[in-house]
Amino acid sequence: MEATIEFIKKIVDNLNGFGFPFLVFFIGVLEFSFGLYKKKWPKNERWVDITCFALPRLVLQPAFAYYALHFLPFALPGFKNVFSWVPFLWGFAIIAVADDLTQYWYHRLHHEIPWLWRFHRTHHSASYMGMAMASRQNLIYTLFFSQIYLTAALVYLGLGIPVIAVRVIKSTITTLAHSSIPWDKPFYKYKVLHPIAWVLERLISTPATHHAHHAATTDDGVGYYKGNFGNMFFLWDITFGTALISRQYPKAYGISHYEGDQWYAQLLWPIFKSKVAGSELAADGPVVRLDIDKEAPAGEASRTSAIQLAPAEINHAYN
Amino acid sequence: MKIEQATKERIIRNVALSLFIYLLPIALMFLTFTITGQRPWEKKTQKAANTKPLTNKTNLNNGSND
Repeated sequence: MEATIEFIKKIVDNLNGFGFPFLVFFIGVLEFSFGLYKKKWPKNERWVDITCFALPRLVLQPAFAYYALHFLPFALPGFKNVFSWVPFLWGFAIIAVADDLTQYWYHRLHHEIPWLWRFHRTHHSASYMGMAMASRQNLIYTLFFSQIYLTAALVYLGLGIPVIAVRVIKSTITTLAHSSIPWDKPFYKYKVLHPIAWVLERLISTPATHHAHHAATTDDGVGYYKGNFGNMFFLWDITFGTALISRQYPKAYGISHYEGDQWYAQLLWPIFKSKVAGSELAADGPVVRLDIDKEAPAGEASRTSAIQLAPAEINHAYN
Repeated sequence: MKIEQATKERIIRNVALSLFIYLLPIALMFLTFTITGQRPWEKKTQKAANTKPLTNKTNLNNGSND
């Protein structure tokens, strides 16, 4: 048993080194080869995607490294490797919950608390899904990405190998959930695979459930940006009643009223503001703007308001 | 724009449940240790004691025990 665990440790260690960048590159090439962006990658969006991918790695990585290498030993002296006795599988379970549930909350609060929405808006403004937009985030959202600090602390406390294992699995699931390649489709198509689909779509984020979260519409039976917040595990959405499973893919992605805010405003709001009048990122823009089809005077619904899903409503499309 | 009251209440309710979920794997781990009689933290202490180096940087004899 110990030899097997050691073997798994070596595999995940290697995958963490070169596996993830290779996976992103490989899927990205496939997406472009199949024309999955459908010529929806205009210059401004390209700049948003590329700067959002590159800048955090150049600017924020040193800050994260400082936190892990200097701040933690200063704040928690004598605690280094104090939990290194925790068996690998238990460490894996503890970190999978700690990391992913924290990210679920970080993500959900940015949708449900109006003043936080604009820090997360950049990730939703893309009108396409795929590797190009997967890293698209406001720099401040990434800076305060809470589970980064939690997992760095757990590495310091001696849970380094389980952290790497969780990271490899989580990166794979979230990358594939953002991909424009609907890998989950065969599971819905063939009846023999339905039981696997039933488990998969409740356990982890799939393209169908995560694409629904990125839809330009909501409450239409397919799009559901008011929920489906899970990153690695979809179980959190099921548990807290924020899930919608439809086994369908939205027709349109992004934000209905998006008019191409400048890349620098999307990357660094509120330091830089958008020049698009009426935009949520503009200096005098609203905190949360209603969807175009809801912009009637009487409409009170907001992008961030959430609805309570009764268990019967979940999975209503095929229950 | 303020957060809706219903949303606020649901967040508070769900956060309470989350705290339980955070603790669940830790509690299950210790429950397993209790049932199986395992004490892995003791192993670590023993291992550390057994692998204590004979010499260290503060040894004024510079590695020699003479």
